[in-house]
Amino acid sequence: MNVRPETQGPTVLLAGVGAVGARAARQLVDTDGIGRVVLAERRPDQRRTALDSLGERAVALDDPYGDWPDDIAIVVSALPASGDGRLARVAIERGVPFVSGTEDADTIDELLALQPIARASGVSVVIGCGLAPGLSDVLARHAASALEDVDEVHIARVGTSGPASVATMKRALRERPREWRDGSWHEGRRRPTRELVWFPEPVGGRDCDAVASGIALLQRQFPDAQRLTIRYGEGEDSPGWRRAGDAAAWGAARVEVWGRRGRARDSIVYGVVERTAVATGTMLAVVAGSMLGALDLGRPAGPGVFAASEFLEPVPLLTELSRRGVKAATFEGVGGESPATSPRG
Amino acid sequence: MKAFRRGLVVAFIALLAGAIVRLRGKGTVQPTSGGWRELEGPDFR
Repeated sequence: MNVRPETQGPTVLLAGVGAVGARAARQLVDTDGIGRVVLAERRPDQRRTALDSLGERAVALDDPYGDWPDDIAIVVSALPASGDGRLARVAIERGVPFVSGTEDADTIDELLALQPIARASGVSVVIGCGLAPGLSDVLARHAASALEDVDEVHIARVGTSGPASVATMKRALRERPREWRDGSWHEGRRRPTRELVWFPEPVGGRDCDAVASGIALLQRQFPDAQRLTIRYGEGEDSPGWRRAGDAAAWGAARVEVWGRRGRARDSIVYGVVERTAVATGTMLAVVAGSMLGALDLGRPAGPGVFAASEFLEPVPLLTELSRRGVKAATFEGVGGESPATSPRG
Repeated sequence: MKAFRRGLVVAFIALLAGAIVRLRGKGTVQPTSGGWRELEGPDFR
């Protein structure tokens, strides 16, 4: 390991410095109250590039699963989905909190299944720290706090953050979609789920298909809702995924929450547009900063597996993200009727 | 007769194109008016 001078504050192990990891590393290094950032990356060129750009507070490690420095206070994973489960188990064994930005449905299920051993070990495992799932769920909770009852939440997302993210999104679109309707799970057919969704500019309108990714986390937070859906669409004018995985391309999330306000049924629509890798990397760093006490964004997570939106307060979190350039917006105007009451339901 | 057959082919292609456009446009496109505003203020609304 390449050792550089110690700095004040806890040490973060950041696994993977691809498109997301590089952004997370920058955000972690720029967070007061965090000491060193240990970059665990097997690809030497990526490791060297990240190390050179981050300065004195970053050190490098070539194997995220091998020996760690003794002072690791938290593990932040920006690995491809397939690496998250294994790394989470290593972190739990070593008694170190774990934060993941995974968007893969199977990996989310795998991490949720670690609940018993995480609790028994007294370790926090935090998932849902990406654009969607992640920031979208925070916006859904924020919208829900303005309503008395929530009966529907519809999340849509476009954009990818690198080759691994493209593979995850393609798989999500190939697999059967899943939605929560009237208290039970429904698996839909593939194609008839396509719907045009309007995101903030410059993304605009995109065709999106229902998926299963992230729906389990959303249902944990809105168990009494009548209908929950998540849709994915192709990114920046990329029919056939021509530009898919381009870290410079725009990503976006749109959150539509329906419920009761007073005696009327009402909806709140929030959206965010950002480079997907930037949004995910910033979310990862902010969640890790909160868990380390470097940022005050809500109560700390207890032992077990949680989505970030389950324990962090939306307003401080959105304020911190905005301060770092990830800004959310609200749609003001006439947004039509709820998808549940529309002919295609 | 040849012109009639050509007319039939053109009509068939037009019908086919119309059907494709109609199928692709079946999503729930709601009439909307308004715009996006950045969240702001102490409540971030």
